[in-house]
Amino acid sequence: MLSFIILMSSVICFSAILALALNFQWGLGGMINFGLAGLYALGAYACAIFILKLNFGFFESTILSMLIVSLVCAFISIVTLKVSEEDYFAIVTLGVGEMFRLIALNEDWLTGGALGLSGIPRPLANIIPSDIYIYVFLGAYILILFTCIFLLNILARSAFGRTMRAIREDDVVAVTLGKNLLWARARIFAIGGLLIGLAGSMHAFYYQYIDPTQFSNIVIAYAIMAVIAGGKGSHFGVVFGSIFIMILLEGSRFLKEIIPGLGSDQLSAVRIIIIGVGLILVLIYRPNGFMKEYQLKV
Amino acid sequence: MCNLIQIIFNGFITGIVITLPALAITLLFGVLRFPNFAVGSMLTLAAYIVFTFNVLFGISLLISSIITAIIFGFLLILIDQLTFAKLRGSSSITLMVCSLGLSFVLENIARLMYGNNAKSFAIELARPFFFMDIRMNREQIIIIIVSTIAMIFMYILLKHMPIGRAMRAVSDNPSLSLVRGIDTPIIIKWTWFISGILLTTGGVLIGMDRAIEPPMGSSYLVAIFAAAILGGLGSPLGAFFGSIIIGVVGELSTLVIPPNYRIGIPLAVIALILIFRPQGIFGKPNIKK
Repeated sequence: MLSFIILMSSVICFSAILALALNFQWGLGGMINFGLAGLYALGAYACAIFILKLNFGFFESTILSMLIVSLVCAFISIVTLKVSEEDYFAIVTLGVGEMFRLIALNEDWLTGGALGLSGIPRPLANIIPSDIYIYVFLGAYILILFTCIFLLNILARSAFGRTMRAIREDDVVAVTLGKNLLWARARIFAIGGLLIGLAGSMHAFYYQYIDPTQFSNIVIAYAIMAVIAGGKGSHFGVVFGSIFIMILLEGSRFLKEIIPGLGSDQLSAVRIIIIGVGLILVLIYRPNGFMKEYQLKV
Repeated sequence: MCNLIQIIFNGFITGIVITLPALAITLLFGVLRFPNFAVGSMLTLAAYIVFTFNVLFGISLLISSIITAIIFGFLLILIDQLTFAKLRGSSSITLMVCSLGLSFVLENIARLMYGNNAKSFAIELARPFFFMDIRMNREQIIIIIVSTIAMIFMYILLKHMPIGRAMRAVSDNPSLSLVRGIDTPIIIKWTWFISGILLTTGGVLIGMDRAIEPPMGSSYLVAIFAAAILGGLGSPLGAFFGSIIIGVVGELSTLVIPPNYRIGIPLAVIALILIFRPQGIFGKPNIKK
């Protein structure tokens, strides 16, 4: 049971970072990212490929994968430069996400196709004794999570954070006040991309194998639910949102005992239905989440 | 040469198949003002309902499609009342997220009830035949005929019937149409009903062209959106031409890129339009007030 809780906590750490990335792009920057699943896959695959195929160290691989996802994100936001409506932006991100999942599924020589990549080594496994490894691993993940929150808090309170919120609230006013909309958007999206790459790498190190089914669109639903449940714009809220969602998700594993006679396919279908219904209910009844965004006191 | 014509013909069929869903997206966008990601899985669910009547109850495909179209129209009104109606007036992102959640629910209801395996309608197989050196089969002819009838019907409905005029008025200027006494909630219900009919027809055509399986609708989603954006979101005529272009270009692209990446073409098209002509070919520039 203890090891189950430790493993769960590690999962919560990188899910929370993914949710923080979405929170940064959407909650603070006002740009929804429906390609999250594909970009997350890109981060995980990039990291795994650097380690397995190019024999890079875990640290360099993580940094490189973060940079790659970040560049792709910046590119997406620049392509949609002319369009100020979120509608088109959402569709483009959705399509880009699909594209990356297709590449993961089809380029066997690089990504292992449907079988995925296995045997990703855990970082520093030869230095840290194996009996305390999972504790150190979890400790490191929690440390990374809190570092991210710390940095994001600084960023949200900085001049750039104010620009971001101004753009989210009303981009026309922000432009009138002399803010460079395109550049600001590219930066928001790129910083979010760094976090997505980080979360993807952490995912790869945790599971040690990755395949395309881990990155279905449900990932987006988790992240969106975590962001909305936690309260858009609030970093700690998003972490609590992720914990809440993970408990809900893991809880739904026990559905098998409650409803007998379900095959594994049907069980996963029921879980996704629950997630979908949960998402809609949260949107309707708790659109502002459970925690408030940081606001300057007057 | 003959090969090229064949490819263009196949692309034309793909385009025709996505015309009706693209039209539904464009109508829904016009009236509700957000891109509805649930359209793909709605189409899937409709195809499965037709499958139920057709294969499990043994009713002919035409009759089961008609029954389903009507049931599904009302079902969409009900779904709208349960979900989107409660969020009217929210930002379009909220509505998009809601439609995403809805798409998970609908697709997995289909998966829960019918499993993951591909299914097909009970229609007897027919040998493909050649017409002017182009290989075609009976299903493709049916697809062309049904889509054409549906398009003509939609044209008459939108141009010459009071309900169509009211729909166009609402999509043009919601507040003005409300002031002029158009009952917006009724128009929204009508739009869902008509979309239900279009999506059922689209689902049947896709099911005939390929197979009925849970991801059938969502796998077309990007192409459908590309078609609607290319034609200009909210423009029915544009949806038709957009679909044909997406279908033909997508099929031609398989000459140079691996077929697995056909989805990249609609995506590239979306990116190009957004850069050079964001309002689409037939759309009017959107001036932000």
